[in-house]
Amino acid sequence: MTTSVEPPGVRIGHLPGTPSGGGLPGALAAEWTKLWSLRSTWWGLFGAGLLMGLVSMIMAEATVANNKDPGPEGPPGVVSVGDIATGAVETVQFVVLAIALLMVTGEYATGSIRATLQWVPPRGRMLWSKAAVAVAVVFPTAVLLTLIGSVVAWFWLDEWGRVDAGDLVHDALTIGLYLSLMSVLVMGVGAMLRSTAATLTTAFIFVLVLPITLVNTGSELLKDVADGLPSSAGRHMMNGDGPYPTVVALAILAAWTAAAAWGGITVLRRRDA
Amino acid sequence: MITLRGLTKRFGDKTAVDGLTLEVAAGKVTGFLGPNGAGKSTTMRMIVGLDRPTAGEALVGGRRYLGLPRPLREVGALLDAGFVHPGRPARAHLLAMARSNGIPRTRVDEVLGIVGLESVAGKRVGSFSLGMRQRLGIAGALVGDPEVLMFDEPVNGLDPDGVLWVRRLMRGLAAEGRTVFVSSHLMSEMQLTADRLVVLGRGRVLADAPIADVIARGSGDSVRVRSPRAAELAARLAAVGATVRRTTDEELQVTGLSVDRIGLMAHEISVPVLELSAVTASLEEAYMNLTGASVEYGTGTAEARR
Repeated sequence: MTTSVEPPGVRIGHLPGTPSGGGLPGALAAEWTKLWSLRSTWWGLFGAGLLMGLVSMIMAEATVANNKDPGPEGPPGVVSVGDIATGAVETVQFVVLAIALLMVTGEYATGSIRATLQWVPPRGRMLWSKAAVAVAVVFPTAVLLTLIGSVVAWFWLDEWGRVDAGDLVHDALTIGLYLSLMSVLVMGVGAMLRSTAATLTTAFIFVLVLPITLVNTGSELLKDVADGLPSSAGRHMMNGDGPYPTVVALAILAAWTAAAAWGGITVLRRRDA
Repeated sequence: MITLRGLTKRFGDKTAVDGLTLEVAAGKVTGFLGPNGAGKSTTMRMIVGLDRPTAGEALVGGRRYLGLPRPLREVGALLDAGFVHPGRPARAHLLAMARSNGIPRTRVDEVLGIVGLESVAGKRVGSFSLGMRQRLGIAGALVGDPEVLMFDEPVNGLDPDGVLWVRRLMRGLAAEGRTVFVSSHLMSEMQLTADRLVVLGRGRVLADAPIADVIARGSGDSVRVRSPRAAELAARLAAVGATVRRTTDEELQVTGLSVDRIGLMAHEISVPVLELSAVTASLEEAYMNLTGASVEYGTGTAEARR
């Protein structure tokens, strides 16, 4: 008879001291670590900067061309470089929103949302920590994008460009606010739809297609409806050209964002992960 | 300790988990066994709050998972090695995990060392084999030094070395007084690792007892007797209340009598005995007998055995 000797158990060590930390600060730290440990974040930010420069260049060139050979609407004349940046954001926003959106839907696509929910079980805390980290990244990014767009426009416009420090600060802040709120909005929608493609399509329709379609009908009523959409409110906030004051534009956008976040948290609480 | 009270989960009109009431005690390895679709994973998902129970509740250390301030300090769970973002390096995954629950970052390198992944810690998880992901999942379960540990099929994809290691890990965790709840479809593995078994079939508990009892209750120990006059002996043994099955012309399988009694009785009626041996049922047989009627996606073999 041989005697089998049970090998010793694997030691897993102990954590010293009483547990502390966690909560919302812990959730924020975790989201911050997760966001920066993915290459897609870095590529997304790099891509946004590149696209911003490119689109600003194209728009500046269009302005210069129209001034030399005016179309039916007449020459645009000397424009503020910030206006070019604001216009370019219309296109570049989708790259920035995708970075924020992937924090939610990327985790659904890979299944890692179930890990996240084991670490931070309260659904509201989980989504708000993601939103807060997204805003902490998106807002400075938006300011930087405004600068990139303005500098490119300034070079390209040459004599047709106007730089005003006050305008630039205004543009940077409103673009920052717009992209921050829209990021949280798409994250809320992402938590409801759980799919990157579905959410981006929804955002694309709401931000670009629907406002234009509504305005093109020529109906005053539908035009008013279009002005109530988050993207239109955002556009009016950035351009300061709305049928309502900038503060109201901000309030409309914030209300949509709050509704989407509430919807996202509600779905997270009701549906199985 | 894990406490389940009337835990029920319905998906549409299908009941996945049906009024599960159960206590998983500390200081033991409790095996959670059942055929595919029996509700094992759903039960574990409800314990950590990923699925909402339709009725009943699941408590860990007397509290609901959703109410734990630092859940990873109390419950370590490896439910699916795929619950990781493939684009993230292993260390970053564990670091985010540690930060979320106020666990010092030194602990991350400690658990990477315990599971043997320190050399690939900076590599992205997408490049990992299933076995490496399984180890990463185990590292995640250990990172919070929790009292309660749950593993869903932990040896999937592991090499024999890894299987042995997991077995030692489970035994070690239980020896330290922790609650270890581990599901598996590998019955032989359970026989070597678990102290107690909970057998699940179609969402209901079929057995909840020490592993030896489950084996005994499932098929019962028996005695094999070989004799040229098997029929005569069978009649005599049946007369004293034993259950006798004639397996071949010469061979009997007897339950309810010891080897000694059978030998003496054969002698009394002067029947020659060519072989007399005790047969200990395997967990596998016990399991098949218990779950045969409750196989969700059966191929018919389990039924055919009865």
